[in-house]
Amino acid sequence: MKNRLRVLRAEKNWSQADLAERLEVSRQSVNAIETGKFDPSLPLAFTIARLFKCKIEDIFSP
Amino acid sequence: MWFTKSAAERRYLSRVLVSMAGYVLAIAGVSWMFAHRHPQGAAVYLLALLPALPIFAVIAILGIYLSEEKDEFVRTVLVKSSLWATGVVLAFATFWGFLQSYAPAINRTVNFPMYCVFIVWWVSFGLAEPLVRRTYK
Repeated sequence: MKNRLRVLRAEKNWSQADLAERLEVSRQSVNAIETGKFDPSLPLAFTIARLFKCKIEDIFSP
Repeated sequence: MWFTKSAAERRYLSRVLVSMAGYVLAIAGVSWMFAHRHPQGAAVYLLALLPALPIFAVIAILGIYLSEEKDEFVRTVLVKSSLWATGVVLAFATFWGFLQSYAPAINRTVNFPMYCVFIVWWVSFGLAEPLVRRTYK
């Protein structure tokens, strides 16, 4: 699954570690999601969307 | 590093350390009993069960860690690594069983106690974990 997480994170000037801390996950998780190698669960996708004040479909696309 | 580990992982490591301490004590105690008291009958079975109990605990502790870990990516890596390790143990045990049937001489030359499958599982898990992690990079 493609996503705009890296772009959104860059806009906030956050490192992967910063985002991981806000999401309460490991930095490796953020990296795996950003590279599209790991698809987050629906609850985590909602948390990410809430954090960036976006809809899920604005961040993730099939 | 210790401070970067999740709370669930720290609890897991503490529990494993306690279990392993119990395992060392059980092995020492049971070995002493068999060497000096020569137990017989049901006591043999009960004493043989004692060092296995901390091992059962470690298996349960891994299950508890999987349910307590909030990071779903970490859980995914753990589950995949566990499946690889379980696959290796099953394959190895199957091969070893056939080897014992068709080449019985192996029983005289190589002593492989069944409790060693636990060690094989953990070694396989330790090897699989970084490889599984690498697939997400």
